[in-house]
Amino acid sequence: MWHIAKREIYDNLNSLRFALTTVLLLGLMLINAIVHLQEHPVRMQKYHDAATKSLNRLKSRTNLYLIAQTGPGYLYKKPSSLHFCADGGEDFLADNVYGGFYAWATDDLAGFWQLDYMPATLNRQNIRPDTIKIDWTFVIGYVLSLIAILFTFDSISGEREHGTLRLTLANSVPRHTVLIGKFLGALVSISVPFVIAILMNLLVISTASDVQLGTDAWSRLGIILFIAMLYLCLFLALGLLVSSRVRQSAASLVILLLMWVTFVVFMPGTLASIASGFSPSMTYYEFNERALQRVGELRGEYEARLQDMPKDPARKMEFAGEYVIKDVTERERLIHEYLTQQHAQIRLARSVTRVSPVVLVQHLLEVFAGTGFERHQQFVENVQRYAREYREFVTDMDRADPESLHIIGVYDGMSKKPISPESIPTFEDRLSLGRDFNAAAVDLLLLTLFLIVFLSGAFLAFVRVEV
Amino acid sequence: MLTTLIRRELLDNLMTFRFAVAVLIMLLLVVANTAVLIKDYERRLAAYNTALKTEDQRSQGLKTYSGGRLNVARPPNPLSIFNVGLDKRLGNEIWISHSFVPTLWDTGTYKLTNPLLNLFTAIDIVFIFEVVLSLIALIFAYDAITGERERGTLRLVVTHPVRRGQILLAKYISAMLCLFVPLLMSLLLAIILLTTSTVISLSTADFLRIGGIILSSIVYLSVFYLIGMLISAVTRRTGTALMLAMFVWGFWVLVYPNAVLAAIAPPQTSQPRMVSAYEEIKQIWEAFDRERKQFLANDAFPGEDPDFGMVDVDPNWIWGSGHEYFHKDSSALRYDYHAVSNIDKLSEASKPQVPHAQDYYRFLGPQIVNAAERAWLVRKQALETIFVQPAIVDRILLRGSPVGMYEAATQAWVGTDLHGLRDFFEAARKYRRTLIDYYYDKNAFGAEQWFSADKGAVDWNSLPQFSFQKVDVATNAKRALPDVCILVILNIILFLIIFLIFIKSEV
Repeated sequence: MWHIAKREIYDNLNSLRFALTTVLLLGLMLINAIVHLQEHPVRMQKYHDAATKSLNRLKSRTNLYLIAQTGPGYLYKKPSSLHFCADGGEDFLADNVYGGFYAWATDDLAGFWQLDYMPATLNRQNIRPDTIKIDWTFVIGYVLSLIAILFTFDSISGEREHGTLRLTLANSVPRHTVLIGKFLGALVSISVPFVIAILMNLLVISTASDVQLGTDAWSRLGIILFIAMLYLCLFLALGLLVSSRVRQSAASLVILLLMWVTFVVFMPGTLASIASGFSPSMTYYEFNERALQRVGELRGEYEARLQDMPKDPARKMEFAGEYVIKDVTERERLIHEYLTQQHAQIRLARSVTRVSPVVLVQHLLEVFAGTGFERHQQFVENVQRYAREYREFVTDMDRADPESLHIIGVYDGMSKKPISPESIPTFEDRLSLGRDFNAAAVDLLLLTLFLIVFLSGAFLAFVRVEV
Repeated sequence: MLTTLIRRELLDNLMTFRFAVAVLIMLLLVVANTAVLIKDYERRLAAYNTALKTEDQRSQGLKTYSGGRLNVARPPNPLSIFNVGLDKRLGNEIWISHSFVPTLWDTGTYKLTNPLLNLFTAIDIVFIFEVVLSLIALIFAYDAITGERERGTLRLVVTHPVRRGQILLAKYISAMLCLFVPLLMSLLLAIILLTTSTVISLSTADFLRIGGIILSSIVYLSVFYLIGMLISAVTRRTGTALMLAMFVWGFWVLVYPNAVLAAIAPPQTSQPRMVSAYEEIKQIWEAFDRERKQFLANDAFPGEDPDFGMVDVDPNWIWGSGHEYFHKDSSALRYDYHAVSNIDKLSEASKPQVPHAQDYYRFLGPQIVNAAERAWLVRKQALETIFVQPAIVDRILLRGSPVGMYEAATQAWVGTDLHGLRDFFEAARKYRRTLIDYYYDKNAFGAEQWFSADKGAVDWNSLPQFSFQKVDVATNAKRALPDVCILVILNIILFLIIFLIFIKSEV
């Protein structure tokens, strides 16, 4: 078997396709590294500036009512240091959630803060032409798969055409050994330039002083490399499968290329667009109408209660506090519902597109690079957890003060003790590898399944092939 | 003889398995994508209509002339289904006012349903042609000469009394005829799907534009076919030819368009140019402000507050008095002055001030228009050099690949290129002129209705409606022509090279 693999490798190493592959991969990876080195420091700087500004504003408050009313302000998503692996459409995902208040105020009441998920601000003035970002996802998903096809489409049908397959099989080697040998040969001869290109890319990136990769990042890179290999094997297996089923190598190439085009180029976008039609989300106008109506109802309720019992100031304060909190909870519930619908629509579309291996790889790379939609959901969860913490903090501080009336929502009903800035909880956007594995489990499983199906398909096809 | 050769080649190509598979996949892709794209267009059209309706309601509330800040919306282009270009990406709402000349850099967007849907790239029909048809063209071409040479049939053909040029021509014509089949079939299907949609109605001009797309597609495909043939003529073995063809395809279709813009550094907005232009604009407005202040100083109420202390009867009405402010934004080169007063009903105490306010606004209105025009001349120049030129350079770089030329040509045909989008802003600016003329006609600057609706609200119905007409086909054609021409020239050059190589090659 090793003998066959070695022969294949020698064959490949001397071929034109090997040279072209090496040049192509090296060039792309170099571009990727250079672009990352240019963009990443700017991105980090922007994040740090914005986050510090927001934090300073938060820490400048000492009054508990003000803290409870104005909220934590803008909460920012931390950019991933592995942004070069997967861009993940970050331009279309918001990089912050606003935890601030709505400017309504009447006499002694003011609206409380709530989480507001604003969509990403797209650059509507950008008149540069549209392009796909050159990230690892592009290099692996598009280019590597194409290369895998070009290396395997003739590995069996070609030999059959030349008649060398008959010679090989005339020797006392079992067929599966021949197949595995061919598979390994192709795998090694693509892996070599690919790994070299990746190493060069990482070398360029890690030598720059302002881009640092920690141990966590390196382990993530290891996983990404493993996924890339899995994906490469998948396309090699597909190539072998088609190559042994089809008589002519030209026909085998046509079939493979058209499969590639449908799987890689069209399925991700088109299928997702079709699938997103199945669960349409609320329009902004619907949402806005509902929110206005609900808020108006609450206001009406509050005013009706005040009318019934206008005399007692303590009761009035209690009502006011209740109303303010209810108003916030309702607003937040509605906006959350709106967001959940949007996310559900995207999730459904994403799971439908899993029938294409390139989408699986894209998802996996995004998850492990800490970008993209999964990451965005994680960020939103982090923000929500923080919002709870923040509110609990306000309640706790208020409870701790015996002089307070414990009516949150009204200035006079809350503790007047100054709050030390250190004790206010701060938002920290964290990523956990464990959670990422959970998110990736299905995709990883499906990718392995695809590989097994294609491998066994190739095996069966080759065993039954007539020479 | 030529016809015999063509017939032979046609049969050879048409009866193959690869041809059948290619046509089938092509049709499937086009049908699936057209359905998606039509849905998408309908969604955008619905959003546009909602925006129009909202604007209609809003304009009911504009009771004075100075409060007239009208929004106009850009309708989605139905032909964007063929090539979306900038149609979806650029802002589609702009406000019109006498005090400000609108440009592409001041747009807003009306709300779409789910902004996250942008995560999924929409694939338009031209993109399918770009990727799949070029691939098919190369697959047809790579063994056109080497294959016959390997099999020895080329020798047989050459022994007949045919000129070598004829052989090449026959191969070329028959392959193009073959490629024409999937192209036309899929376009036909797409058009059939388009006509089933109730909201899209195509005019004769639109069909001519589609004709333009077909023409560009043919020229584009022909380039790829000839590239394949060239590879086939210079290589000895089909295997090598195939590899080369595939890598050339991968490079030009996949890698080059995406890599070239990433590889060259994104253009830095030239800061000094920005600052100098901003200063210049600032000076224009400062000169205006000096004159304004001078006018106020020489007024019967010297040094008085510009809204002359006029207030609404209702103290809670937020637009109850005049608002005058400078809008300054150096990153967008914006510096403009707005004087808005939307008083519904004047309070008794303010009534004596009315003649003074009229005098003031009669003076101010033309001044603002004037300053805005002068600032616009500076701003136009600056925006052009700072933002538009780099974008044009990008497009020139993209033309290093036939894909770039094809993209540019088809975008020009359907009107989703930069020119087409700028037509809209041109129309918006023209509409601003209409608005100003309307003000002059109605003598609005000096009228009481300029700042208060005391004598009745302004009837905006007498103002002509904004309408955006797409340019005529001839203009589209003129814009598409350079790229189509380059592609044609490329074709001729390639053909000549192949011809020269082929007549000198040994069989």
